[in-house]
Amino acid sequence: METVLMDILGAVVTFLVAFVVGMTYGGLSRKITARVQNRKGPPWYQNFIDAFKLGFKKSAIHHGVMHHLGGAFLMVSSVMTLMIVPVLSHNNWFPNLNFQGDLIFLLYIMTFGPLGMALGAGQTGNPNSAIGVTRGLSQMVGFEIPWVLALVALMIQYHTTSITGLMAAQAHSGTWLMFSSPFAFIAAVMAMLGMFRYSPFDIVGAPTELASGPVSENGGKYLFVMMSSGSVFTFAKLTLYVDLFMGGADNLLILLVKTFALYLIPMLYGMTTPRYRTEQAVRWFWGWPSFFGLLAILQAVIF
Amino acid sequence: MVGTPVLFIAIPLLAAFLIPLLGMIWKELVRIVPGLVLTYLLILAINLLNHVLVHGPIVEVIAGWVPPIGINLVFSAFSGFLVTLMIFLGLLVWIYSYRFKRNVEYEPALKYFLMLMMLITGSVGIVLTGDIFNMFVFIEITSISAYGLTAFYKGRNSAEASFKYVMMGSIASTFLLLAIMIIYSQLGTLNMADIARKIHLMNPTLKIVSYIFFVTALGIEAEIFPLNGWAPDAYAEAPGPVGAAFAGIVVKAAVYAIIRYTYTIFDLSSSFSFLIIIGMITLIIAETAAIRQEKLKRMLAYSSIGQMGLVLVAFGFGTKEGVFAALFLMLNHAIIKSLLFFSGSYLVYNSTEKNIKEVNGMSKFLPVTSLLFAIGAFAIVGLPPFAGFWSKLSVLTAAADSNMILIMVLVLMVSVVELVYYLRVVNRIYFFKKEADTKPHKPTFNALFVMLVLGAIILLIGFYPDAVTGMLHKASASLMDKGQYIHNVLSLK
Amino acid sequence: MEMIHIIFLIFLGGAVLTYFAGKVSKVLQDIFFLLSVLVPAYLFFANVGIGKEVTLTLGGITLVWGVNHFSWLFSLIVLGLGSMAAIYAIGYMKGKERKGYFYFNFILSIMAMMGILLSLDLVSFFVFWEIMTWSSYLMTVYNGHETQRIGIKYFVFSAIGAYAMLMAIVIVHHVAGSFMIGSMINFYPNMSLSLQIWIPILFLMAFGVKAALMPLHVWAPDAYSNAPMAYTSVFSGALSKMGIYGMVIVLVTMINQIPQGFWFREVIAWLGGITAVLGTLWAIKQDDAKKLLAYSSVAQLGYIIVGIAIGTELGMLAGLFLAVMHALFKGTLFMVTGAVEKQTGTTNFTEVTGLIRKMPWTFFAALFSIIALAGIPPLGGFVGKWMLYEALITSNHYLLVIVIFFSSTAAFLYCYKFLFGFFLGQEEKEWAHVKEAPVVMLVPMIIMSVLMFVLGTFPGLILKPINSGLVDLGYIDTFKHLWNTSIIFNAWGDHVVLQPILYYIIAIFVFFALFLTWKGHKTTRYVTTKDISSSGEVPAEDENLTFSVGFMQPFLRAVAPAMRRQIDKYYTGIADGLESLFEFMRRIYTGNGQTYAVYVIVFVVVVLLFKSVLF
Repeated sequence: METVLMDILGAVVTFLVAFVVGMTYGGLSRKITARVQNRKGPPWYQNFIDAFKLGFKKSAIHHGVMHHLGGAFLMVSSVMTLMIVPVLSHNNWFPNLNFQGDLIFLLYIMTFGPLGMALGAGQTGNPNSAIGVTRGLSQMVGFEIPWVLALVALMIQYHTTSITGLMAAQAHSGTWLMFSSPFAFIAAVMAMLGMFRYSPFDIVGAPTELASGPVSENGGKYLFVMMSSGSVFTFAKLTLYVDLFMGGADNLLILLVKTFALYLIPMLYGMTTPRYRTEQAVRWFWGWPSFFGLLAILQAVIF
Repeated sequence: MVGTPVLFIAIPLLAAFLIPLLGMIWKELVRIVPGLVLTYLLILAINLLNHVLVHGPIVEVIAGWVPPIGINLVFSAFSGFLVTLMIFLGLLVWIYSYRFKRNVEYEPALKYFLMLMMLITGSVGIVLTGDIFNMFVFIEITSISAYGLTAFYKGRNSAEASFKYVMMGSIASTFLLLAIMIIYSQLGTLNMADIARKIHLMNPTLKIVSYIFFVTALGIEAEIFPLNGWAPDAYAEAPGPVGAAFAGIVVKAAVYAIIRYTYTIFDLSSSFSFLIIIGMITLIIAETAAIRQEKLKRMLAYSSIGQMGLVLVAFGFGTKEGVFAALFLMLNHAIIKSLLFFSGSYLVYNSTEKNIKEVNGMSKFLPVTSLLFAIGAFAIVGLPPFAGFWSKLSVLTAAADSNMILIMVLVLMVSVVELVYYLRVVNRIYFFKKEADTKPHKPTFNALFVMLVLGAIILLIGFYPDAVTGMLHKASASLMDKGQYIHNVLSLK
Repeated sequence: MEMIHIIFLIFLGGAVLTYFAGKVSKVLQDIFFLLSVLVPAYLFFANVGIGKEVTLTLGGITLVWGVNHFSWLFSLIVLGLGSMAAIYAIGYMKGKERKGYFYFNFILSIMAMMGILLSLDLVSFFVFWEIMTWSSYLMTVYNGHETQRIGIKYFVFSAIGAYAMLMAIVIVHHVAGSFMIGSMINFYPNMSLSLQIWIPILFLMAFGVKAALMPLHVWAPDAYSNAPMAYTSVFSGALSKMGIYGMVIVLVTMINQIPQGFWFREVIAWLGGITAVLGTLWAIKQDDAKKLLAYSSVAQLGYIIVGIAIGTELGMLAGLFLAVMHALFKGTLFMVTGAVEKQTGTTNFTEVTGLIRKMPWTFFAALFSIIALAGIPPLGGFVGKWMLYEALITSNHYLLVIVIFFSSTAAFLYCYKFLFGFFLGQEEKEWAHVKEAPVVMLVPMIIMSVLMFVLGTFPGLILKPINSGLVDLGYIDTFKHLWNTSIIFNAWGDHVVLQPILYYIIAIFVFFALFLTWKGHKTTRYVTTKDISSSGEVPAEDENLTFSVGFMQPFLRAVAPAMRRQIDKYYTGIADGLESLFEFMRRIYTGNGQTYAVYVIVFVVVVLLFKSVLF
């Protein structure tokens, strides 16, 4: 009983940390983007303000059950990802699920949310939402290819399909995977650009064109849940990258440094490039990123 | 002893002379008497066949002259099987056509039934006789009746078709006579068994030439490509039941003759591969020509030609399995193709063109006929659990046992073609909209009865092939045993 | 009389009785129909012992029927899905014409499939195979729509496959001297090398057609979408599995026995992978639910083939598990489509929209099946997908895993399209009258949805019979080694524990669902889908807010090069060429008597000239 309680407590703590870190990163990205564009920009805690304002809003409207539950679907995905990814190595406060965080399972649970959310967006009846969803799903098919290529390369190189197995392999060899499997890292990072949906891959929610796409019919508590989920998801994904390619982190500070460093990549890349159309984005992912993914597999097979 | 094979010739001939006289007493007798005769002959044939299957062949001498001088009839398991099949089909054709064209006048009806009976008699004679000149006579009887039946409708087209048939038939007669002359000049005998005994004495070149002449002559009747030009026209223009009679009776008799020459009389080892070659060519050409036909009966005619080609191929394997398969095919073809002709002629009954598209949507108006046609179509392409499957399986098994892989491939490819054109018709019957100007015609009770009987036989053989396979095995054994045939005929005193 | 014979007699007699019962009363016909599917199913599972053999001699050929664990597994699919679809069909067929025709062919199809599974000799195998072909053919032309193209295409492909198999059968009979499947397998190692290669190829042609393996798949999209939906759920769910069934047997008992088998397996696996990709891409393009599901079936069968073709224990488990899952979810999805078709009269996404609130239970079934199809945990599809990926990775098929992954990610697009097209989006007035499907149609769908859910957490329930079947085929027992009641392992020892996943997912989902519901409960309102924000304005009544035309267009633009060529077109070209050839053949018969006479003379002259060659 006590372990269950501890697990639940740990899960809550993990969630809170992820929430705070994710929100902060979101705020920082807005700030940094603004500074790059020579604007003042909102304060770094602006996202917290937005979220809580939405959270405390009294009224809300929905268009049906799927729309109502869309946020819950999304949360399942992000929280499950967070639970599976080992946040810190050797720390009891951030438990991961006792099955060893299998990568294939992770890939699938990560798609659970977007799809559930897409169903919610579909029920709103707003054509913009549906258009956004189709773009998002198409783009997902795009970036999953280099991402999976990178993961498969890692798996076959170390004969394990679990995150902990890969972390153990890094600890064993003493080098981070981003150095021992550079091509896989490059492919994975390029895929990450799509995952975070910053420019040039932000056509999904293209604000002026689609009124934010899938989320356009959401407000109040619904948007709050979605924002929180997004923040948690951001954190979980970054942690996953750190675990896979940077040997994980022993304490929170190192984790923050590593994740923020990674986070800067999509953020900064987005500032330099204009938006792609969906098919351009999809093809982009099947170009150089997939090529690097194939190189990674070649490397894994040969060495 | 329940009867003698002579009755198969004597009774219908007698009846044929009596029918016109009887018709003067009561017109309906013209229609009834052939049926009675055929029924009697069927009973006789079944009895004889049962006897023969147990006790071995019956050899009947005509007019007391002992072979090789006299003429003899041989009722073996093989020929008996064919005779029974032919008479059975003849009876069905009679029942079917009893009220087929009710509005037909007395005189055409008289001719029709007379000629039909002569057709059957001639064919039965071809199968039974043991003398090659006698066979020539029977072939002439058959052909002349067939010409008449082809021209039954007296229209321009049927006359033309009949004329083509006559022309080809006379070519056939010429070649047949030539062949007989060569044989007689060389061996001095006309008795099959005697020829078979002496054939090795013959000049090899002349032997081959006479064989080729025989095959050419009989091939015209047996619809072998390229000798079968008459067939599609004749089938298309003759009344439906006559088509069934051609496919089920006349062609069978001609094929029998070819087989008798190849297996028993001549001793040419390569004649088997010759049969395979011409059979294969016939099969392929006919089936591929069938797919583009616009008239239902023509399509059935080409299909029939193709089936005969396959029968020849199966005979050409020269093995016991091959003969078994060929006989099974002949049986199935006789039954199924008759069903197709019978039901098909009602599907396009009131049409002058007999186009395939006139069967469109007939299933709503003629449900039973359509169903039977569909069963026939499924059966003839060899789909289980219908009769055709077993014969197809035995043909392929025989081919595999003879290591004829290429033949198997070709036969199966042609089967696909066959499948396509039959399915197209079945689809039209069931799923197309009826053409505005076609008038469905309900089948008569007799016709329906005949078709149901045939459908039942198809299902019976399909579910329980053992009903016929035992007999077929004996029949094929009897054909294969050449020495026994010679012995049986020539040992008569 | 043995029980197996009785079962077949009930099927056969039931089919005929059901057909004629329609002339008496429609209700009686329904009852007969249900009985003639459900009674044999019950008798089979209750009374037929595994390992028992019964014989019947026909035409000098001994027909042997019996059950082993492997065929029992497929019997489960056939009879299980068959019973469900039969119940569903009662509702679906209500008021439709050609009911007797439908029931007759339905029962015959089930019978034929059971016959295939129970056959221990090649002749009865072939007989039932052909009965299955023509009964399903009659179903594909049921609508009478484009029968000459769709129906005949299906039959021609089936026939080519079946005849290839027939050829193999007679050759085997020639060399092995028996029609028994067992003796064929025993004799296989003694065959000559060319036979060892050709016999499996010929068999695989037949099985590949039914399993819609590229390039023999072109019939499937048309045939699946053209058959009545109550049947298509069996057609795609169970009948296609007969191809899988045969393929597994050929792969295991023949191809694995020879050194060249490796190449066979690689080729088949790649064909399966390409089938999966092409099926998925074309499914995304479809605007008609039937077509979409039909292409999706082709793609899903591709996965199954990949699983069984790579041939490791995990691969086999994955393929067979996916086969069971595919029967469940694709069966359900076709039923859903049928329900929508029955209630609205159309299955076109561009016409029907926003049914979720009118057909909630149907939506529920559709949602579950889609989740299972997409392979998302915690439903059963995930288990199959997981095993498939792990099997591919641990057996060094690195590129194939990417191909499969691409196609199953792209499958999300058509999954979403299906759900969105029917159930989500604008609720138009045109469809305001639509009611939920009748209970008799809902019950099978719900039962199958629940099964998918259960199998997602306790795959051991079905992995157990799969394992027994594989042991029967000569594989090692993989219990506790690759699977447990709710744990699945890969060959490297990594594993996924399914039960906690389910609990976590439920816990998180329920927590946030409660949160969303409870928070501001009183001030949360439902508004119609017409009442949406469009740049701050409320759209006018007549404004078109339905997005259904050109769905997924951007993605299709991205993959356009891969879809420019369609294999179907090549076949059509070949068929047209053949038709012209046949037309030429037809013209040999000119109708001119003189020509015919010349033919005779030419024949005689040619034969005489070449008589030294011929004789």
